[in-house]
Amino acid sequence: MSKQTMEDVLDFEEEFDPLAVDDLEIDQEDMDDDNPLDTVDYPTMRNMPESMHRAGVYTPETQGSVRQAIMELFDHNPGRRPILMHIVKMCGKEGASASAVAASVDELQKDNRSVYAPMTLCRMLERAGALTLEMPETHEEVEDIEEGVEYLEIKERIDPIWHATEEGLAVCEELSQGAVFRDIVLDRDSKYLEVYRAVMEALAEKPRSKGEVDELVDTFDIVKKPRRFGGHFIDILERADAIEWKNRAWTITDLGRELLPLTAPAGEE
Amino acid sequence: MAEEKEMQNQGRGTVQGNEEGVDLAALMTLRARTYGMLSRLFLKEVDEKTLEELCGMRFPTATGNKDVDEGYRMLFEYLKLSWDDTVRELAIDYVRTFIGHGVNGYSAAYPFESVYTSERRLLMQEARAEVLQTLRENGLKRGSWTEGEDHVALELEFMQRMSMRAGEALEAGDEDAAIAHLRTQQIFMRDHLLNWLPMLVADMEKFSQTKFYQGLAKLTMGYLEEDSSVVDELLEGVEDEAA
Repeated sequence: MSKQTMEDVLDFEEEFDPLAVDDLEIDQEDMDDDNPLDTVDYPTMRNMPESMHRAGVYTPETQGSVRQAIMELFDHNPGRRPILMHIVKMCGKEGASASAVAASVDELQKDNRSVYAPMTLCRMLERAGALTLEMPETHEEVEDIEEGVEYLEIKERIDPIWHATEEGLAVCEELSQGAVFRDIVLDRDSKYLEVYRAVMEALAEKPRSKGEVDELVDTFDIVKKPRRFGGHFIDILERADAIEWKNRAWTITDLGRELLPLTAPAGEE
Repeated sequence: MAEEKEMQNQGRGTVQGNEEGVDLAALMTLRARTYGMLSRLFLKEVDEKTLEELCGMRFPTATGNKDVDEGYRMLFEYLKLSWDDTVRELAIDYVRTFIGHGVNGYSAAYPFESVYTSERRLLMQEARAEVLQTLRENGLKRGSWTEGEDHVALELEFMQRMSMRAGEALEAGDEDAAIAHLRTQQIFMRDHLLNWLPMLVADMEKFSQTKFYQGLAKLTMGYLEEDSSVVDELLEGVEDEAA
């Protein structure tokens, strides 16, 4: 950029004084005339595309089936999966009131806060096809007539019922049997089986911090190349519901204790 | 609103309502309350406290204005099914309706007059300057408001405050002041609210997905039209008397 050009730019900048603008002297016609974008033919509201909103990600429509949508929802929300599964199981086919579900989820999340409100989690499950919402019959509208004027009044707030679907319960049952653990830990990632076993045994002994898991994992040669840190094993075990974050430490779950013997070398199981 | 209708019918043709047994000061208070409620609903998302208050409201069924009746009916239909998830659902719909997610100026029912009255749909245009001037002329300051003064909530609040002032003037027996406040409202409605509200509510009905905001659109439009005719008739009565 030449010196002359730079000065031109600076001169232009110096001329701009926002405080000198008197907003009571704005002339709309001048403003419109000054703007080169006036030539743009903006679309009107009426001919904008109808579908401006994005569809949900974990829905049967986008994932291909209800089962797949639920599995993907669980898989991509490892930190919330225990809560999501709890909601499905709690609701069951018989159903649970929204207020009861909310109270239960709040209690479960007290050590593991979420940006999702309980009903948001329920809505996510509903979109995936794991829950359905039953709105109760509302009472007859109450008409109150006072001085010849008719009014409608709401006498009480409703408490809808959440029901689990067949597919939702089936997926939860499947995951509760360690399907993910078998798929990843015992199959796809089985070359690290001894590391998984060590981590699970350490957590079975007592809850531990991530730092302690890192130290333990670093004692294995197999994690040196390619480099694997403790976080990888925590992620996988959490995704498999074998461990959970509880009381500010990583803790083995009941399912994890059940699955631990499967990690033993052949002959020791 | 229904009470207002009754009072309006009785009080038409004069601002000296007391002589005919009509409490016009009370009518002004009711107008102020209605404008206050509408202003609040446009201002920000419904929170739990507001939802409680709305559910405790009585919804008139036959006010004489089709849009007002339909608006109240839609609000009632929505609110009678309100539950734990309602505040969240309304918050989502508020953002969807009034904020949107696009940058092309056509992605929401933008609640600013400037957007609807400037060719390029921009904020802070001539309409905002005019509203700001009206607020200043009437001794009103923006307070903690940090956006354009031509927001529909502020314009409705202006109507609320002018109604309150008119009511206070009537109670104090200062009829001239009451007439002046009504004239201010008449001009403001004609120059601003009625000028762009039809476009805003049409867009609200397009973008909102709950009966709540669709009902609010109908109620607001219907109420403004009804209120405008009442104010016109009250002031015509004054002019007739003067003649």
